[in-house]
Amino acid sequence: MKMKRAGYFFKSFITAIAVLMLGGCTNLHKPSVYYLNYKAEQDEAWHRLAKEYTERTGIQVDIVTAASGNYETTLMSEMGKSSAPTMFQIQGSNDVQNWKDYCYDLSKTGIEDELTSDVYALKSEDKTVAVAFTLETYGIITNKTLLEKAGYSADEINSFDKLRSVAEDITKCKDELGFCAFTSAGMDESSAWRYKIHLANMPIYFEYRDKGINTSDKIDGTYLNNFRSIYDLYINNATVKGSELAAKTMDDARNEFIGKKAVFYQNGSWEYNALTESGAFSDDELMMLPIYCGTENEENQGLCTGTENYWCINSTVMQEDIDATVDFIKWCQTDPYAEKFMAEQMGFVCPFKNAEESKNVFMKQDDEMTKKGYIPVGWAFSTSPSYEWNNTLGSALTKYAASGDDDCWKDVEKCFTAKWAEEYELLKEG
Amino acid sequence: MSKKEKSIDLFFTVIMTAVSVIYVYPIFAIFINSLKKESAIGTNTVFKMPDTQTFAGLANYSDAVSAKGFIPAFLLSVFITVTSVAALLVFCSMCAWYIVRVNNRLTKLIYGLFVFSMIVPFQLVMFSLSQTADRLFLNSPWTIWLVYLGFGAGLAVFMFAGFIRSVPIDVEEAAVIDGCSPIQTYFLVVFPMLKPTLISVGILQTMWIWNDYLLPTLVLDIKKYKTVPMLIQYFRGSYGSVQMGPMMACIMLTVLPAAVFYLVLQKYIVKGIAAGAVKG
Amino acid sequence: MATRNELIKKRYFVFFVLPLLAAFTVGFIIPFIEGVWLSFCRFTVIDNASFTGIKNYISAFGDKGFRAALWFTVKTALVMVLLINTAGFVFAVILTREIKGTAVFRTVLFMPNLIGGIVLGYIWQIIINYVLSVVGAPLLALNSTAGYWGIIILMCWQQIGYVMIIYIAALQSIPDEMSEAAQIDGATYLQTLFKIKLPMLFSSIMICVFITLTNAFKLFDQNLALTSGEPAHATEMLALNIYNNFYARPGLMWRGIGQAKAVIFCIIVVMIACAQFRLTKEKDGEYNE
Repeated sequence: MKMKRAGYFFKSFITAIAVLMLGGCTNLHKPSVYYLNYKAEQDEAWHRLAKEYTERTGIQVDIVTAASGNYETTLMSEMGKSSAPTMFQIQGSNDVQNWKDYCYDLSKTGIEDELTSDVYALKSEDKTVAVAFTLETYGIITNKTLLEKAGYSADEINSFDKLRSVAEDITKCKDELGFCAFTSAGMDESSAWRYKIHLANMPIYFEYRDKGINTSDKIDGTYLNNFRSIYDLYINNATVKGSELAAKTMDDARNEFIGKKAVFYQNGSWEYNALTESGAFSDDELMMLPIYCGTENEENQGLCTGTENYWCINSTVMQEDIDATVDFIKWCQTDPYAEKFMAEQMGFVCPFKNAEESKNVFMKQDDEMTKKGYIPVGWAFSTSPSYEWNNTLGSALTKYAASGDDDCWKDVEKCFTAKWAEEYELLKEG
Repeated sequence: MSKKEKSIDLFFTVIMTAVSVIYVYPIFAIFINSLKKESAIGTNTVFKMPDTQTFAGLANYSDAVSAKGFIPAFLLSVFITVTSVAALLVFCSMCAWYIVRVNNRLTKLIYGLFVFSMIVPFQLVMFSLSQTADRLFLNSPWTIWLVYLGFGAGLAVFMFAGFIRSVPIDVEEAAVIDGCSPIQTYFLVVFPMLKPTLISVGILQTMWIWNDYLLPTLVLDIKKYKTVPMLIQYFRGSYGSVQMGPMMACIMLTVLPAAVFYLVLQKYIVKGIAAGAVKG
Repeated sequence: MATRNELIKKRYFVFFVLPLLAAFTVGFIIPFIEGVWLSFCRFTVIDNASFTGIKNYISAFGDKGFRAALWFTVKTALVMVLLINTAGFVFAVILTREIKGTAVFRTVLFMPNLIGGIVLGYIWQIIINYVLSVVGAPLLALNSTAGYWGIIILMCWQQIGYVMIIYIAALQSIPDEMSEAAQIDGATYLQTLFKIKLPMLFSSIMICVFITLTNAFKLFDQNLALTSGEPAHATEMLALNIYNNFYARPGLMWRGIGQAKAVIFCIIVVMIACAQFRLTKEKDGEYNE
């Protein structure tokens, strides 16, 4: 009797599970697109664009955003599932190493042909594994109004020496002026990438330029003194003391700039919305200076322009889904509505032939400068051997910012010379 | 109560009040910052009370609730938490009782496995867990409780078994003599006696599941479903920018129901339940 | 103990144990076995794993950072377990005396558990940095001593309320008669507490020690948010070290090494746990026959 009851329970338990499992199997496959997006800022806009596409073509487009910090985990987990993303993002050549087996060759799809230049495609062996979909630029964002108040105009700043004399002059009279030269060069995790990645680009880029190469497993450090000069300028003329920088966040720096506490702010074109949305700045008040660090012919130096945003198509999903995804990407690249939407709603500057011009002041400025013959600085930092390398540099820079002494700077130098080579060794093993 | 004991109690009240202030302060900091404007939340200003310039009213809260689909996510989180915790309490206490009362090699092995599962870091199993759940169609809100039941079983069985060991067996034997089947004995006699433990295990598991970010992200079909902790992550953009205001507001909104839930339940951890049941 | 086996017939296994065991197999055993398998592989996701033998283990043991993280974790865990359990127990005793405001205090002490670890980590980072800058000491990112104690303070703050709940439930399930009888025999309050109640709480104490120990070893969110291992990995705990393997280096081998580290880590904690259980057995013979 009792046994029967237990047996009955067990049977119904199993039946319940079986019913639930079958429920999942019954729908037939229709081609669809599933895009795993990296930038939380554009999540809502992507959903709207996807909806528009579905209304026009009847193809379902799912958008999932995994915010930064969780993207790699989410991608690894989703790629193993039965309904894996058909389209995902990678950041550069280091990611290609990890994901090349999952990248569909884009060279024959026509997607690559829509790019304005070959440099916006990532290759692995003879495959085109990824295409860039938005360009970005960074430099020293400048509040023109404050600069004029201090008695200078942005046009006169065309070299490191000039930048330094302006910054030091502002620091001298900061009490009368009521503002400082630079926002805090925060070394908190949220902000440290501006230095351990973006500023660190300068010595790497110039060394590559001199040697005429694009990547290297060895850095000589010819331009490390220039790197030090510009970093010194940031910390010595900032809103806070060097010893406090270790805890300063991205929000702190942005709030200082929006609160008109400082003239200069090293950041990129992605900041445009945050700076203008709140009504804090009009387009006329903002401009971006190249990051001068005292190299030769720097009056011709442009902004740092490149990308960390690439699309890949997952080669392991069904062919129908791959085709649907190819169509969706092509639509994004060529359709006037999509072009306009990506430029206006997402603020993208797409390296596509039909791309709509962006409203982003910094990108427009970059465009003008390039046309006038300034030479943009490439994103050489993407050749860094590992994120571990950037973290080590970050720790060394934080320590140096707090003390400013030469011993600490030696650690920074070692990072470029010894650690870079060391990490490249490990990379070869992997 | 003697005078001396009264003054000792007063002394404890004072001490506990001081401790409480330290305890509440960080949460209070989240609360006041959730009322500030974005530009007034920084490492320098985090301790400052909002003033007329920086006070944002409930703007962050309305941002959190309206723009990001807070309500569906909230309901989903409630549903997942309730079903998973209910399943954990029922199945784990049952299992723990059997393991303690039928003491043989097999139950010892099973118990050992449960305890072992507590040790294993999530990083080791997370990718395989997400694929196993995907293959068995456990990726919907209706079935994710099974994953939580399996993954959370270790802690629950461990705690239940610990408490059941200290419950005298006499009452159960009396019930058997009165003609109860084991199932009746369990649900009529043992389960009610476990009340304080059920509540404490329930509270701890609820807090875990309610705040859990990684497991639902890996297991759920994220194209369709979002829980509140997943939603909070959406305030974290690329390039280190975080929308602190709405994020803090969202956190306060998730703390509130959890706090109410806890308040209601802890009232029921009352004295002497076991004492009343076990006479002699 | 013949009566026990008569109490529940073994066939009730199907009803009492099997449902949970099925879920446990899906939710833990299968993923665990796969996870261990992956520690011998090179993989992007599970489907394309290729067997590489014990290469990952060799690299894991060769990693200086891993050994340092292991030592740091042990150092942190021991202090943490001791402080959390002592304080949790003391608070539980105080809050079962039914002093004024007991309900409020219990709620307040538990409150840190209502919020996820990452957010709490950030809040404490700001508070600790503020205190450090007031006293003129180097900030968290430059100060491994402050990082060490910061993690301990944060975890105490968060987990004392957690174990307190368990201790309160345990204290309250001790029949009143026992302490009353002891007091009639002339025992003082403290004597009753230590001689009568404490031994009865033995299993709860073991539960709490074990839970806090495993939590300390698995600590991740708080470590990431509070110090993220700075300065230069000096405050990096095991879970963070494993996580950094997945993310900080390109190259698929690192994922396997991460899995291998996690397995090594499991073995270490099992050894500690076995030692703890052996201790328990000696003192607690009546419960574990």
